[in-house]
Amino acid sequence: MTDLIIQILNSMNFVLVLIMVAMGLMIIFGLMNVINMAHGEFFLLGAYTVVMTNRLGLGFWPALVLAPLVVGLIGMLIEYLCIRHLYQRPLDTILATWGVSLAIKQLIIIFFGPAGLTVAPPLPAMVSVAGVEYPAYRLFIMAISLAIIAFTFYVFLRTDFGLGARAVIANRNMAATLGINTRRMYRTTFTFGAALAGLAGAVMAPIMSCDPQMGLGFFIPAFLSILVGGTGTLYGVLVGGTIVGGGDSLFSYHYSPVVAQVVIFSLAIILIRIRPQGLLGGKNHE
Amino acid sequence: MLKISDLHASYGGSLILQGIDLSIKQGGITAIMGRNGMGKTTLMKTIVGLLSPKSGRIELADESIGGLKPHKIAAKGIGYVPQGREIFSDFTVFENLKLATLRYPRKQRHIPDRIFEYFPILGKRKNQRAGSFSGGEQQMLAMARALVTNPKLLLLDEPSEGIQPSIVQEIARILLDINAKTGITIVVVEQNVDMVFDLADTCAFLEKGRIVETCPVDDLREDESMITRYMAV
Repeated sequence: MTDLIIQILNSMNFVLVLIMVAMGLMIIFGLMNVINMAHGEFFLLGAYTVVMTNRLGLGFWPALVLAPLVVGLIGMLIEYLCIRHLYQRPLDTILATWGVSLAIKQLIIIFFGPAGLTVAPPLPAMVSVAGVEYPAYRLFIMAISLAIIAFTFYVFLRTDFGLGARAVIANRNMAATLGINTRRMYRTTFTFGAALAGLAGAVMAPIMSCDPQMGLGFFIPAFLSILVGGTGTLYGVLVGGTIVGGGDSLFSYHYSPVVAQVVIFSLAIILIRIRPQGLLGGKNHE
Repeated sequence: MLKISDLHASYGGSLILQGIDLSIKQGGITAIMGRNGMGKTTLMKTIVGLLSPKSGRIELADESIGGLKPHKIAAKGIGYVPQGREIFSDFTVFENLKLATLRYPRKQRHIPDRIFEYFPILGKRKNQRAGSFSGGEQQMLAMARALVTNPKLLLLDEPSEGIQPSIVQEIARILLDINAKTGITIVVVEQNVDMVFDLADTCAFLEKGRIVETCPVDDLREDESMITRYMAV
């Protein structure tokens, strides 16, 4: 029973962070038709921002603000230098962002080495949840992820910026002829998506081993979440993230991570075969 | 108002516009007619910047706008009602209209009251999903949305397509009313001869990517042979 509660809490933990990563990936894809293969590396950069602030003696907490800023800025730079020139060639953006992903990983190896690094837990205390002792820091992760997810929903569903962004997703040409600067919207969105992944990386750094491959562990399930949930609405990410993330952690716990991967991939393949647009549907146009 | 000279543009790899020369005078209502595939929609899309001209000039109020990005052209004062209306069907009426104000600074983003005077039905159904509207109501929403951008020139691409005749007449009446009250210049691509007679003062015929004839609509009323020549399949 105790094990089960801990397992459920851990799953929620993974699911919420995964949704944060997947939301960034999805809004970038939804707006720009760009599949950002470097999204896992934005997560990675967020985690290494924590490694840096630790080394500089600043501890963990400043990284919570610095990581989204730094990674958002890097995202903006990548959009400006690379992706901006490829909007007419969606397939080439896959190759280009994959290249960016490799370059970031190699830079991390050059500066930090290939080995896993650990970060001191910022909140070492345990708290009692439903009768079990659970790390306070993991509860903090859930709280901040929930807040960020809610914030993102607010931005996209309630603000003028979100209205414009949803219009560009639904019909970019029409939005442009109404006076919306789609290019500027792409840059803002790419920056925002990168910042989300950066923040996710930062909050996960203390409970993971920080190594150059760590982004993959979130990029692949994030990608699957979008395929499963569909790209039509942000709610798709909630559904997809919960199924993929929850399934992954439950199967990992009961069997092994390998079995979990096989099951999740197989389910995703079957679902995409039956419902190519994802559970909640795809984009309305194009 | 709008002056197009020797405009060439291609769509889907083939050269559709092959030297368009067209001059639209301030405050008038011009209809562009022609058979399908002659380049009417390509011409509209090139004017609003969705397609780039291969060569030639497009001037709005003596300022060259050819090749500018669509949002820049919208800001110069061209409102566009595309073929098939392209309203945002998942959005409410209010959201559809609000979109057209987003290019302004935050404080100036309001929908003018006169829009709801022209189209009272939109005022009554502000919070209704646009996708639940009939074709005619969607057409009115698309027109209202283009007017919210506060254009000097309004382009409409086949506004009567797929709409019942009584609503087509109403749309023509509303456009005439707006033109009379504001002096806005209107260019309408149209195959519906009745609507052209109701609405336009000048008619230009497009054939094989060129404007082959321009004449007052009154002349067409007396002699319909031109319509047969350029419109009959």
